Amino acid sequence: MDLSLTEEQEMLRDGVRRFVAENYSFEMRRSLVTSDLGYSQAHWQTFAELGWLALGLPEDAGGLGGSLVDTALVMEVLGSALVLEPYASNVVLSARLLERADNRELRARTLTALAQGRARVALAHFERDARYSLSHVETAAIRQGSDYLMRGRKFLVLDGTAADQLIVSARLGEALGLFLIDRRAAGVEVESYRLMDDTRAADVMLQDVEVSGSSLLMSGPDVPAVLEEAIDRFVLAKVAESLGAIEAVLEMTSEYVKSRIQFGQPLIKFQAVQHRLAEMFVEVQEMRSILYCGLAHIDAEVPERRRAVSAAKVVAGGAGRLVAGLGIQLHGGIGMTEEYRVGHYFKKLVTMDKLFGDSDYHLARLAASAR
Amino acid sequence: MNFQFSPEDEAFRAEVRAFARDKLPASIALDVKRWHDPLMKNFRAWQRILSEKGWGAPHWPKEYGGSDWSPMRKHIFMQEMYAAGAPDFGWQGLHMLAPVLIAFGSDAQRERFLPPMLNGDEVWCQGFSEPGAGSDLAHLKTAAVLDGDSYIINGQKIWTSDARDCDWGFFLCRTDATVKPQRGLSFLLVPLDSAGLTIRPIRAISGRSDLNEVFLDNVRVPRENLVGEPGLGWTYAKYLLEKERTASAFLYFNRRELEKARAIARQVPAGAGRLLDTPEFALKLARVEADLMALEWSVLRLLAGEKNKYNLDAVVSALKIRGSEMQQRVTELQIDALGPLGIRHFQHGDPDLDDPAKAPCWPDYAIGSAALFLHTRAATIYGGAREVQKNIIAKLAFGV
Repeated sequence: MDLSLTEEQEMLRDGVRRFVAENYSFEMRRSLVTSDLGYSQAHWQTFAELGWLALGLPEDAGGLGGSLVDTALVMEVLGSALVLEPYASNVVLSARLLERADNRELRARTLTALAQGRARVALAHFERDARYSLSHVETAAIRQGSDYLMRGRKFLVLDGTAADQLIVSARLGEALGLFLIDRRAAGVEVESYRLMDDTRAADVMLQDVEVSGSSLLMSGPDVPAVLEEAIDRFVLAKVAESLGAIEAVLEMTSEYVKSRIQFGQPLIKFQAVQHRLAEMFVEVQEMRSILYCGLAHIDAEVPERRRAVSAAKVVAGGAGRLVAGLGIQLHGGIGMTEEYRVGHYFKKLVTMDKLFGDSDYHLARLAASAR
Repeated sequence: MNFQFSPEDEAFRAEVRAFARDKLPASIALDVKRWHDPLMKNFRAWQRILSEKGWGAPHWPKEYGGSDWSPMRKHIFMQEMYAAGAPDFGWQGLHMLAPVLIAFGSDAQRERFLPPMLNGDEVWCQGFSEPGAGSDLAHLKTAAVLDGDSYIINGQKIWTSDARDCDWGFFLCRTDATVKPQRGLSFLLVPLDSAGLTIRPIRAISGRSDLNEVFLDNVRVPRENLVGEPGLGWTYAKYLLEKERTASAFLYFNRRELEKARAIARQVPAGAGRLLDTPEFALKLARVEADLMALEWSVLRLLAGEKNKYNLDAVVSALKIRGSEMQQRVTELQIDALGPLGIRHFQHGDPDLDDPAKAPCWPDYAIGSAALFLHTRAATIYGGAREVQKNIIAKLAFGV
């Protein structure tokens, strides 16, 4: 076992660190939050130029063939700066589904466009009453000759507003199909909104959308497993992002309690405060460990992958809540304000806990896969 | 021991419940349910309705418009008001300032300030915390200097709840810098439209802006706005907190919000049924409820005047610790119940919320919990941070 980074990986990480240092001051971030898009188109182009969009994509479709470890390195740094660009939802979630699509022509064309920053693709899979169930799909595609008519309602589509294309899951008789449709197609209506962490999501109404047969990415009994695997990879990327976030909280909180004077001395002189920091430190250590555990098993057999990913999501959910909660607590009133950074980490971590299966969901999945 | 409420108490409960059902405007109850922020408008309107009934300040002595209810009756009253979805009581004026005025103020102050406080015409905020003095309140710096018949106040207050929408503030100011920090503070009443007084709202992570900074730049108030004796501000501040020993349990809020979590879980689909039918969530809710039931009886023990072998302030700090953590747990239950429905940032006053066609995926029960959950992160910070409360317990219960 060798857990050291390669020279290329260190360069990659340093590059992302440089980017956030230069472009993601809290004030810069705030102006993006309130912009129409909710993030920066220019940053997205930078991601493309620096090869970050291509990083984890397959080499036969314009990608660099990097591993999820590479992506996780990027995510960790993005998490530390609360970056708003929808990186993982594009290059992990959507890209993985495209990579595994049977429709080779659509696969190559869309992945290449994604790698070059010419197209953004969002997954429209979840429906409101599904909660976290992956198999609950009511949206239906009705065959009409060689084409389809699609009807349904998708919910909480991450980056659904800015995406150029949507990967939509729909019932095809008894099985599921994944379609790639244009977000601006007739009959597609998008209602966008802000999430707690200031990223954007959308509800997508599909009202008799005419979809050509050539837009079908894949169908059949394998679709649920393909979806699950892509989501597992995405979840792990988000765990890496959470790790970056809680480590940032630990660092900024330790700095704050060194400088804040109350009762005649810096807060850090109080043992109660020292123990709180120590508890946060333990969580950060354990979260890095569970991320590694997940990365070690992401390409393993399905039960092992499920166990490791769900364990990571559970540990990350608990650590995130605890560390960011204590981060606010130790900052006191200032930690509650919108103009200060620490509360935003809390919001980010809570939001992540609630997406793609909360801790209860993943605990049940872990228990079931360990049986 | 007799653990029962009397039949008269139960009849009283029915009367309060019927009053709330008949008189509480539905729009106000909806704002409370959604945790919307109508900038004290609802509080003022509801306070007027309550005071017309004679229930504006049941905890005051009868001669000032209060009731002669027993502590248990007041408890029943609060339970029913919160359960009905009435707005929060004017804690700062009616519950904190008024007892101080009644005990230490002048006749003129009582005549001038209590009636408009009672009917909701004048709303008060509390100016204690400063940027350099949060939990360490004794070290606040805002200074008031006597100049003829006026005090001239200079300094800055922070975390002043609702200041923008209040009429008056009661401020702790330093009038003597030469004595022990706790001895040099005085309690002053300041009109918020005073020349030299500026209020800057602070936007919180919840999206609300009910906290404020208050800047005092040569603010002049007449000498008769001093409450009691100069230098005794610390004593009065401690007195007002002691008058509200059980308030920090946030019992009525906690019960209401736990019930909201249950109501959400009853509606949220989970598999073939509802979330409340799943053992995972039902047990999680039960775990919180067990602690809430204990908290309820902790409050009842205090209200019933039970003799406790430990120092009462240590017991009250225990109540504050558990009550503040409970606020976080019951609102967390709500967003846990909501799951993916719990993470949308709803804008207050968003017209989409009243138009189901605009938000077809978002049921009404999804609104408000996320912001309230974020808001309650402050509960373990204000009014003496959790860490300070633990120090108090160590000191007063064990003589550390």
